[in-house]
Amino acid sequence: MYVYLYDNFLNHRKYTATIKTIENRLTDYGIAGKILHLNNYIDVKPIIEDEIRRGAKTVVIVGNDLTFGHVLSRGSTCDAVFGFLPIGPNNTVAEVLGIPVGVGSSDILARRRKEKLDVGWFNNRYFVSQLHVPPAKVRVVYDERFQVTTPYKMEVVVCNFQPFFWKKDKKDLEDRVVHPQDGKLEAFLRPYVKKGWWGRESEDPSVFPFEEMEIIGSGPFVVEADGKKTKEVKVKIRLARNKIDMIVGKERRF
Amino acid sequence: MIFKKNPSQEDYYEENEEMMPEEEAGVEELSEDNIDTVVGPSMIVEGDFASEGNIVVKGTVTGSVCTSRNLTVEEGARILANVKAGSANISGEVRGNIKIKDYLELTATAKIIGDVEAKTIAVEAGALIYGKVTMPGVEKSELRAAKAMRGRNKRGSKMLDMDDIDDAED
Repeated sequence: MYVYLYDNFLNHRKYTATIKTIENRLTDYGIAGKILHLNNYIDVKPIIEDEIRRGAKTVVIVGNDLTFGHVLSRGSTCDAVFGFLPIGPNNTVAEVLGIPVGVGSSDILARRRKEKLDVGWFNNRYFVSQLHVPPAKVRVVYDERFQVTTPYKMEVVVCNFQPFFWKKDKKDLEDRVVHPQDGKLEAFLRPYVKKGWWGRESEDPSVFPFEEMEIIGSGPFVVEADGKKTKEVKVKIRLARNKIDMIVGKERRF
Repeated sequence: MIFKKNPSQEDYYEENEEMMPEEEAGVEELSEDNIDTVVGPSMIVEGDFASEGNIVVKGTVTGSVCTSRNLTVEEGARILANVKAGSANISGEVRGNIKIKDYLELTATAKIIGDVEAKTIAVEAGALIYGKVTMPGVEKSELRAAKAMRGRNKRGSKMLDMDDIDDAED
């Protein structure tokens, strides 16, 4: 049995036609199911667990990158197969998973090609897409073996599914992309170097693949994981292997 | 980036909704380690810095550096540590002992203060080395013979000096 979790923004009428087409296709494939609408105040985990108790085998996320991160960061411990139907803008994760945005995603869902995916874990929470620490005075300790520091403020990005985009400088027209690699959790560190009297510019990022990492700040710093912001003084990040059973496409980047 | 791929699993289609039975856990096959570890120009790494892939150092590293693959030290980079690598390409400064399994290349801006051990060494004009250089392939017997030769040459030169003094006195 399939359960579909629709994000709030899909209520807008510009998505009505796309959703209708997708729903018709899913019915033709014989994989239509129960539809539940999410909002910011609903905790996803008890909902998924309830549906699994009622017999649901597959939970399908319908929305964008934020929806994907919001559902999987809470629902990754649930015993179900997850699918994804990306609709609308802000869909970078879908490309990594090999799922086309829009109506074509229902074909991928019907094919049911499964892969076991790893997730990141930090401070008793899971994150699926990306963990981002905006420029702050922090130091990073890797695998309790070595530490990385810089005299300047440093931006830290730990990528999982969501690729890391960055620009070399203001004049750089091309968006540089670093795609996540298979089998590793990677951290990108960018110090903000002083330039001239007032300005600051970011350096080319340093790359460190790792299994376990600790970010320690001299004071509280903002941590953004899957769209949710918190303030922490210390963050421990670890890799959790084979946490999610996910339906993916043939054109996936792994 | 952290995806496990069962090598025996091929693309397949499911006609019904039932989940496939759990496959036996195969040997975890990690993809080839193509990930480069990059240390940026203003980064300072302290501790036992080890990696399974290639390492590119543009900043400062203290402690020890270890990789089974290639180590690149760019111009302006500093390593204040002992280094162990499969192969290395050094254009910066290294203060510590270097042990390379295969090929070591020192460019014109390289500065090494410490002992060097490598199978093959290429040194560009302008590179600075201050330390002992050891390469495998020299037999122990040849080493002993070379030492003995050095000893004889020293004694020989001492005797010549004594003769010069005697001649001068005469």
